Amino acid sequence: MKKKLSMFLALMLVVGLFAGCSSDSKTSGNGKKDVDLRIWSFTDELKKPIKTFEEKNGVKVELTIVPIADYPTKLKPVLESGVGAPDVFTGEIAFLKQWVDAGYWENLSEKPYNADELSDKYVPYVFDLGKDKDGDVRALSWQTTPGGIYYKRSIAKEVLGTDDPAQVGEMMSSMDKVFEVAEKMKEKGYSMFPDEGSIRWFAQGDNPQPWVNDKNELQLTEEKIEYMDYSKKLRDNSYTALAPEWSPSWFEGMDKPVKVKEGGKEKETQVFSYVLPTWGLHSVLKTNVKESVGDWAVTSGPTPYFWGGTWLGVYNKSDNKELAYKFVKMMTQDDEFLTSWSKETGDVLSYLPVTNAIKDDFSDKFLGGQNNYQFFLEQSKEITPGIVTKYDQQLDTLYGNAVQQYVTGKKSKEAAIKEFYQKAQNAYPDLKVPKK
Amino acid sequence: MKNLNRYGYYFIAPFWIIFLVFSIYPVALTFYYSFTNYTGSGEAQIVGLANYKRLLTDTYFVEAFFNTWKIWGVNFALQIGLALILAMIFSDMRLKLKGIAFFRSIFYLPNLITISSVALLFGILLDWQHGSLNMMLLKLGVISDPINWLNEPTSAQLSVSLILTWMWFGHSFIVVMAGVSGISKDYYEAALIDGANRWQTFTKITIPLLKPILLYIMITSLIGGLQLFDLPMLLTDGIGSPDGSLNTMVLYLYNQAFKYNNYGYAAAVAYGLFVITLIFSAFIFKGMYGKERKQPRQV
Repeated sequence: MKKKLSMFLALMLVVGLFAGCSSDSKTSGNGKKDVDLRIWSFTDELKKPIKTFEEKNGVKVELTIVPIADYPTKLKPVLESGVGAPDVFTGEIAFLKQWVDAGYWENLSEKPYNADELSDKYVPYVFDLGKDKDGDVRALSWQTTPGGIYYKRSIAKEVLGTDDPAQVGEMMSSMDKVFEVAEKMKEKGYSMFPDEGSIRWFAQGDNPQPWVNDKNELQLTEEKIEYMDYSKKLRDNSYTALAPEWSPSWFEGMDKPVKVKEGGKEKETQVFSYVLPTWGLHSVLKTNVKESVGDWAVTSGPTPYFWGGTWLGVYNKSDNKELAYKFVKMMTQDDEFLTSWSKETGDVLSYLPVTNAIKDDFSDKFLGGQNNYQFFLEQSKEITPGIVTKYDQQLDTLYGNAVQQYVTGKKSKEAAIKEFYQKAQNAYPDLKVPKK
Repeated sequence: MKNLNRYGYYFIAPFWIIFLVFSIYPVALTFYYSFTNYTGSGEAQIVGLANYKRLLTDTYFVEAFFNTWKIWGVNFALQIGLALILAMIFSDMRLKLKGIAFFRSIFYLPNLITISSVALLFGILLDWQHGSLNMMLLKLGVISDPINWLNEPTSAQLSVSLILTWMWFGHSFIVVMAGVSGISKDYYEAALIDGANRWQTFTKITIPLLKPILLYIMITSLIGGLQLFDLPMLLTDGIGSPDGSLNTMVLYLYNQAFKYNNYGYAAAVAYGLFVITLIFSAFIFKGMYGKERKQPRQV
């Protein structure tokens, strides 16, 4: 009796300790019966499409949202082991390149998907980014995220004499012209940009090159080095409001004048423009601006660029690939769904059959009735495909750091570049880094 | 007779199973990875001692090592100093201060706040253009231009040290107070009668008798300090700027593993960190206890 009791107690202990894990596996174990499709993403933007998908097909979909910072580290083990893995998962531009090559996404170029046939129907750079190193399509995206410069119409009218996006865009069509505008802004007491980081998207100049070429060499182009000088010029001439991206004053500057302290003086200045992509309008400007609604417009900067974007594909060990692809198809190729989706969210789509049909009668009240859709589609056509590498996010951070060192006057240009090379080599020992 | 002992094993089995699966296995796996060039996906190839060789010549790791020591050292000196002074005041027989419990909770409070909230709070307080600290100094006329606290190597390190001190001195204070209350009042009474002043009582009675407690605080703080990660990670851009001054050893490890995908090298860094912690713990332990053993114990 005593023996049995102690055995039972010991067993209880073991069970108790593993309870935490078992409750988890229970849901995923039962999930096979209750849930037809499992999707992982880092944003909640798929919530509505999933509802539509469920209603259309009479299935049940489970969406797991993992914060972006943890997303790759949480996703990797489940994909590697296949336990509790999603059937469909999304990828963000920052780590997209690693993931298309990692082999977790089903090859969509093969039968029965034949995604290659779709190539003419997408904005080229978007379609291109979903391909792996062998040129096979691994992931698709429904959106395109080219960028522009959002500016305040009232300030443009006062300082530049016009608020027409085409004319304002012309006035900022090169870096030198941007500085001309900046000088005019300064004379009237306005700030051209919130901070120097704003122009980083134009750092490529007319010569966009990937950070790392196919020979595994790190490439710091002349244009990128020039960008250091542009940044420093912005700082030295006080063209900005010294409000770093995502800081409280950065957001504040969208709607109200901000206080800037420099050289023992304090001045109040209004920020003229923000450099943001498509999604910047809906998820940044619209959510932070209250007073100046309708006073905004969007135009092109010195060079086209894009920022961000979400791709999705089918997990290659999924038990339910057919249904999984059905969802991917709905998100990326369904005329009816995509039309209503873009009207609802203002998302700029990459699927051309739909965009061509809807682009002409788009207008946004926030932008004073401007057709931002057409504008962004034009911009997206000019983006050079194939310059995204898996190193981008980290190298951008390291380079941004070097630029900051130079801008704040702590390091000379040469020293800052040298440090950038050293840090890049340290992070990626396999890279061929110029020895300077 | 021989069956008797078995139940003991059943009872300790859960601990051992958990320990093997969640502690020993990852530690062993990390050791294995430290000899490979594992990048997080795909197959890992064995590269021998290459990662350790790289570690020994890695200037960024050396920089991280000294940064960690600087930040921890300043923090520890202030923290233990503050804790001892407070303990001295609150345990003073002549002062007889009231409300120790109240102060204990107040001092301990910062320790309960999650580190991300602390980082956010100080990020706002130390903000270059709009932070309260700069505002105050500007208003008082101490400075004429706002100081970018988190953008200067020295002030960034000092900021982290001070934040850590603020978070941990309450904890040390409580531990020291516990140690002080364990010292017999007879010593102090005797000292009082003999006419010893506060300083003498403190240095001749309190400190020597607190030695084990101080050793405990020092070693735990050192182990925690060498693992300094979250504050430097959250306060600036996560790669240890400005100028690499907030690049601590664990932050470096984290970046190598999860940002640059050099898992193999990061594993080697982890073992380097383990060895360093071991050496310094042993060093402190010997330093504080080694001498004492040679002398006959005083009564």
